[in-house]
Amino acid sequence: MSVDTSVAVGAMNLRGPVLAASGTFGYGTEVPLLERRALGAMVSKGIFLRPREGTAPPRIAETPSGMLNAIGLQGPGADGLVRDYAPLWAEWDFPVLVNINGESASEYGELTARLDGVPGIAGFEINISCPNVEQGGMFFGNDPRAAAAVTEAVRKRTKLPVWVKLTPMVSDIGVIARAVESAGADALCAINTFVGMSIDLNAYRPRLSFRTGGLSGPAIRPLAVHLAHQAARAVHIPVIGIGGIARVEDALEFLVAGCSAVQVGTATFVNPKAIAEVHDGIASFLEARGFKSLAELPRYLPRD
Amino acid sequence: MPGGLTLYALDAPVTGKRQVARGMFVIGMRAPEIAATVHAGQFVNLGWAGGPLLRRPFSVYRAEGEEIEVVLKAVGAGTSQMLAMEVGDRLSCLGPLGRGFDFSGGARDAVLVSGGLGVAPMLLAARDARAARMRVTWVHGARTAAELCAEKDGDSVVWATDDGSQGIRGTAVAAAPDAELVIACGPNRMLAAAAGRWPNAQVAVETYMGCGTGVCLGCAVPLQRGGYDRACTEGPVYRAADIDWTALPSHLSYAVVA
Repeated sequence: MSVDTSVAVGAMNLRGPVLAASGTFGYGTEVPLLERRALGAMVSKGIFLRPREGTAPPRIAETPSGMLNAIGLQGPGADGLVRDYAPLWAEWDFPVLVNINGESASEYGELTARLDGVPGIAGFEINISCPNVEQGGMFFGNDPRAAAAVTEAVRKRTKLPVWVKLTPMVSDIGVIARAVESAGADALCAINTFVGMSIDLNAYRPRLSFRTGGLSGPAIRPLAVHLAHQAARAVHIPVIGIGGIARVEDALEFLVAGCSAVQVGTATFVNPKAIAEVHDGIASFLEARGFKSLAELPRYLPRD
Repeated sequence: MPGGLTLYALDAPVTGKRQVARGMFVIGMRAPEIAATVHAGQFVNLGWAGGPLLRRPFSVYRAEGEEIEVVLKAVGAGTSQMLAMEVGDRLSCLGPLGRGFDFSGGARDAVLVSGGLGVAPMLLAARDARAARMRVTWVHGARTAAELCAEKDGDSVVWATDDGSQGIRGTAVAAAPDAELVIACGPNRMLAAAAGRWPNAQVAVETYMGCGTGVCLGCAVPLQRGGYDRACTEGPVYRAADIDWTALPSHLSYAVVA
């Protein structure tokens, strides 16, 4: 017997609920040893309209059960992405969404217009939550009006699915979630990294050259489950859970807490097969519990 | 430069451990596919149950039969755990990774310059240089005699210590003769000095590393022409003059994590 693990995220049908998180899967060509059959979708490395060098090293620091990163959205810009990667994606049997970034709502809109309709690009994940850029990024994510303005700017330029990746650095994620839902988002991704800092006791200064970085990994998982759950309670669009997922049980926590799908991120750095193991584990769990499909999985989602 | 086209994720049992200098150890593991394919200067990314979150990158020190070896010092909780492992304990071994040294240039002689743990890729470098018919000079430096790696491989050998307790007093870079091919590995400060003397030297740099496979962009190496590339993928071996040494962190500080 085979279990049906397909999910619908808005109008987008995915063959499985486990997705590759932005920035942890490059442009889909780098991660070795991954069995692609297990990928529900991939969100590509965050991109700006123009190429970016990224931040000076050191860019990463390990912390207990987690890591800080300040990569600074190094990337080739829209033209490079369209030229070098989208043609590959057009041949793949799973959808690729592009994580989009800007320093103003109009720049997000301009980037969307540049990418909309390019074969290989199946949708957009709006990044209003990157803690590692001087302009834009998280600024948009912790103000409901700014978050809605960016979402509207993107929504106006495309009919493709628009997901919005939320920052945890807010006092009430439900407020932001409802604001971007009203502005036309098709789904929410919760959450991006927490802002953290670690000090080098030999140098008496931060371990990262950017001073702060985004904290990811198992250290943030209970925080992320809670915030994804809070977001899911607040809206009627699907929520994709992200934060410290490394094993099947971690993914199932997010799904039971009200998420439609999950993204695996930092775990891929450690275990290039993590996505496949989580995907296969979900199918085994459902089968062992006597469910015929992921849709039958009980959810804990009291409504606000 | 040689780089692996094929990558392996192996469950690698520890086969042995020996001390080669004060605080410096060699750990062997069974990793047949990697042993058969690794080039000098390439590395493996090691993880283990109960270990730190991220894997730890190690140059492959020796590859013989079905075994590879890595060299390490206890600098943090992770390496301390590795040193506490016993024969038969399991390492998760991902590799071979990165691009190694290039011996195809037709040089007739090579000088292998290492400082401290920078000895890590040099046994394989000596093997590969000799296979390319080069005469090999082994130059190894440390702070003091007790910290010099006892194992060596060269047609001639030069020792250097900061305190003069063995060999030439001074740095390995200062002690080394010139050669048609210069290969260097050690602290980034030492490599910057090597770059000043030999712009065309091939140097293996050390950076913090996240994934080791080219995805996370955490191991950024600043380039003279501007921008960054990845130590794990385009590196860890570079032409010395191609690196912007003023922007590469000169000292890596390993915080204690578990």
